[in-house]
Amino acid sequence: MRLILQYLHRHIGIFLLSTLFLTMEAMADLLQPTFMSYIVDEGIADSDIGRILYYGAIMLFIALIGAISAVMRNRFASQTSQTIGKEMRQDMYHNVQQLSLENIDRLQPASIITRITNDVSQVQELINSIMRMMVKAPITCVGAIILILIQTPKQAPVMVGIIIIVAFLILENMRVGYPRFGTVQKKLDRLNGVTREFLSAVRVVKAFNAEAEETEKFDRASTELAAANVAALRIAAAFSPLINLTVNFGVVLLLWISKNQNSSEIGKLMASVNYMTQVLFAVTMISNVINVAVRAMASSGRIEEVLNERPAQQFPEHPLRPDIKGEIQFENVSFAYAGAGKEALRKINFKIEPGETIGIIGPTGSGKTTLVQLVPRLYDASEGRILIDGCDVTQIDEAVLRSSVAVCAQKVVLFTGSISDNLRWGREDACDEEIKKAAEAACADAFICKTENGYDTWLGQGGVNLSGGQKQRLSLARALLRRPKILILDDCTSALDAQTEAEVLAGLREHFEGVTVLLISQRISTVMRADRILCLENGAVQGFGTHEQLMKGCELYTKIYDSQIGGEQNGR
Amino acid sequence: MADKNTAIPPRNINGISRPGHGVVVKPKDMKGTLRRLWMLTKGKRKGLEWILLLSALSCAAAIFSPYLTGKIVTMIVDGDAIIFVLCILAGLYISDWLIRFLQQFFMASIGQRIIQHIRKTLFDHMKGLPLAFFDRRQHGELMSRLTNDVDNISTTISNSLTLLLTYFFTIIGIFTMMVCLSPLLTLVSLGGIVLIFLLTRAVTRRTKKLFAEQQKALGKLNGQVEESISGFAAAKTFCREKQMEAEFQLNNDKLCHASIRALICSGYLMPLMNVINNLCYVALAVFSGILFINGNIRDIGLITSFLLYVRQFTRPFVEIANIYNNFQTAVAGAERVFEILDEPLEPEDKPDALEAENPRGDIVMNHVQFGYIPEKMVLKDISVQISAGTQVAIVGSTGSGKTTIINLLTRFYDVSSGEILLDGHDLRDYKMKSLRNIFGVVLQDTALFAESVMDNIRYGHKDASEEQVYEAARIAGAESFIERLPNGYHTVLEQGGNELSQGERQLLTIARAVLANAPIVILDEATSSVDTVTEQKIRRAMLKICEGRTSFIIAHRLSTIRDSDCILLIEDGEIAEQGTHEELMASGGKYARLYQTQSGFPVSNRKH
Repeated sequence: MRLILQYLHRHIGIFLLSTLFLTMEAMADLLQPTFMSYIVDEGIADSDIGRILYYGAIMLFIALIGAISAVMRNRFASQTSQTIGKEMRQDMYHNVQQLSLENIDRLQPASIITRITNDVSQVQELINSIMRMMVKAPITCVGAIILILIQTPKQAPVMVGIIIIVAFLILENMRVGYPRFGTVQKKLDRLNGVTREFLSAVRVVKAFNAEAEETEKFDRASTELAAANVAALRIAAAFSPLINLTVNFGVVLLLWISKNQNSSEIGKLMASVNYMTQVLFAVTMISNVINVAVRAMASSGRIEEVLNERPAQQFPEHPLRPDIKGEIQFENVSFAYAGAGKEALRKINFKIEPGETIGIIGPTGSGKTTLVQLVPRLYDASEGRILIDGCDVTQIDEAVLRSSVAVCAQKVVLFTGSISDNLRWGREDACDEEIKKAAEAACADAFICKTENGYDTWLGQGGVNLSGGQKQRLSLARALLRRPKILILDDCTSALDAQTEAEVLAGLREHFEGVTVLLISQRISTVMRADRILCLENGAVQGFGTHEQLMKGCELYTKIYDSQIGGEQNGR
Repeated sequence: MADKNTAIPPRNINGISRPGHGVVVKPKDMKGTLRRLWMLTKGKRKGLEWILLLSALSCAAAIFSPYLTGKIVTMIVDGDAIIFVLCILAGLYISDWLIRFLQQFFMASIGQRIIQHIRKTLFDHMKGLPLAFFDRRQHGELMSRLTNDVDNISTTISNSLTLLLTYFFTIIGIFTMMVCLSPLLTLVSLGGIVLIFLLTRAVTRRTKKLFAEQQKALGKLNGQVEESISGFAAAKTFCREKQMEAEFQLNNDKLCHASIRALICSGYLMPLMNVINNLCYVALAVFSGILFINGNIRDIGLITSFLLYVRQFTRPFVEIANIYNNFQTAVAGAERVFEILDEPLEPEDKPDALEAENPRGDIVMNHVQFGYIPEKMVLKDISVQISAGTQVAIVGSTGSGKTTIINLLTRFYDVSSGEILLDGHDLRDYKMKSLRNIFGVVLQDTALFAESVMDNIRYGHKDASEEQVYEAARIAGAESFIERLPNGYHTVLEQGGNELSQGERQLLTIARAVLANAPIVILDEATSSVDTVTEQKIRRAMLKICEGRTSFIIAHRLSTIRDSDCILLIEDGEIAEQGTHEELMASGGKYARLYQTQSGFPVSNRKH
């Protein structure tokens, strides 16, 4: 709620203006019965047609003012709620862009996406409702009390009493209902989870004939959700008719009190009854808005979490901007992922000269990807330092660092847009010829030219219309365009068949004269030709040297070699 | 390839649209869909007739209370004792409360019961659908049908139905009362109703387009957010934050403008309606006043009643327009649900289908042709005979059709032409369930569930003992990493296995296949993400369980499958080469060349 107020505060002018119009709108509604009572008490009682027409005209005039106010109020309310929504999304997105990968891992991408899209919509909806109804209801209630007080003071206690009871009922409804709606949300998440799991594992479900188990899980989640829903809906069933009844009894009481009413004041009695109906509408509105509010509360909490998230990495105020040559040194580097107990890297020490090609090999989970991610500072070392050309990476300007390091990740990320748009990620100002050259070097040109529109072919979200191997080649071409000083290839040829892989790697070597290359692969034949090879196991360096050196001195390396090639060599 | 579709997280496009003002999705066949819904909920809507009766009754207060109030006013003017009529009014209100309470209270449970039933029906149907269905559809979209659409159907339709009933009777009732009380005044009020009706239509027609624009802008923004957040690391490494933000800002601004325009336009409706309502009110007050003075009306209470009626009369009309729109959207949702229910299930077993118990494992493929879409055959003409106990390796470049062969063997898909025989009988002559039981498969996608490691391994074999699970994990080489988990075998994989490395996930799925202990084993790229040392371990284990069983291994790394009894090299949906490793190397064909590039040594360098 504090968050919503904060944002409302920024638009306090428009908000107040809209409240002003809202007040006018409410007043216009409230004044109608009063003038109607004049028609009855003065016009009809005195048989004065002139007075009737006079008051009728006033009523029409008031109605018109009311309508204009309502239109203005709607204009301002829409503008405010949508602008606030826009600002919230903008602020969240901006903050997310500042965050480190570590934060994103913790918040989870899917959750961030729903927060920016869905949760903001909920809050927007609430603000809109507040500005069109929530404020109007109290004004109507207070206005009705005042007008009744002026006209028929003896009815005031009934009015006040009724409103107090209604307020109590609404608060009680909120108190009892809120946690139940929370449960509903949780159960809904659970059902969604079970469904998502089934859908993504449908092949396994079928292969293992496990349909019955899945049905059972689904039924359990579905039943729990239904039960939670019934519990929440029954609260509403208990309260909202009760609120209706209370207001209706107010009318009965009003009539009872007025039983000895002077017949000349009958118009006032009619007005009071009318006010009571208006109050009834107002409170129904409040309970409607509360339903929206309950959902929006949860959403606003989730939005705040994103807004309050601070980047896990700090960047220096006066960063170094060295002309990077490509020397990399790890000094006693250890690293653990946030929340993970065990260290992914332990006391890593090595130094790479500029222009060297380093192969990195090791069992799954040995920390290969983690190690290379520390170079462009996707994560920061928990201990020790990483130096590029002798400068600590944490002291280097972010843009300088990232523009000199290009990464080809295991999982290729492409974006909606044309193929050349995607390749230009590497370098914004690359000309068509450069793009084609890079694509050729990555063995991507051939298949790109075979597509319908060549380099202008539009890629769907995540490049859905391409195969895994094609995506990997595009990602390579993108990195090539970047002309980096340090190139990281993280098992990025895994979806290519051996022949294409060999061609691609040859193309890379040609292109990257003088560039430091970190090459991760599962295939020993791929890393074998590197200048030196880093052999990792369980986050520690097992060996670092040329192929020949490692064959002699590194047990793990020879084991991997034997498993892939050695058997053949020994004539097994 | 059909098996490479990615799950897209569900997103709720309906986030912004407000009920009654949002985009109305028109159902294609309203009457037919409603009839089907009625049939579908058969037996589950016990008590619904009572709720409908209650909704019809709940208009009583709206119809009679203005009359009674007017009556009381007249009595007060005349100085009569009002206690009796007042008691009736109080009684009316109390019964109104009771009716509303009962209606909502029972609606809660009946509505949920219906939702649950529809959801269950849908899920039951979905789980029996062929794989082709799931490969074709986006997961997010299917999920939104199971939750959003089903919810919409029940809540909106039941709410709309009851409200429609209530309002219908209210309008009829009030109209009758008004005509009975004074036809002349009724005429005045009717003028307003007609105006309101015309206005509503005019405004909704305009807003419909604007809301469609808003929805489009929203879809675009959501898509961009999804893409950029999922690809966060890539955007960071390429320093794209600024461009991303600029693009976001553009989409965000567009959405904001579209929304404001749509909301402002739709916002004209209520105030204008109010003006008309007030106009009516004034006209009525003035007109009845004049009539009263002229002596055409004797009863001041009548005017009171009418003024109250006019206030209540217009609301149902406005609401009905909204409700009808919601109703249409919900029925369109129901049509989407039925669309799935209409999808044909996996073919039923033939009446005299065979049980595939303890098969020998002879497999014969005769001129097998298959395409995921009829125009494009993935497998063109595959003929091969595999005798029981053979270890078959399938190799070939990406997209050559390796996984497709597996899809046909397990009958995830059926052949387009030709036949596959198991022990001399066509696969389609076996009972589907028993056929799948004889395959122990480790698939490319490592699907794990948010359950304990133990339950994940014994997936599909619930009654396996803990010892059997330990044994399977040991054989698969998963033992050591499982024991390192915080709670060992009882560690719950909260994130469905995402907390494990790809290799660890693969080891678990292998353990699962080991436990299944099936007569025929299929390993589809089972060891692609495992390091080569671990791979050796697994391979040895697999060899052990493959012993005496027919097995199929698909692998990129040729070193993995060197020892297989028979290697099939698939190219462009046909078998290009076939034989043992030695035979194929000796022939010096495509396989030999492939092997050479992978091992990094020319063939001639091999020492014998």
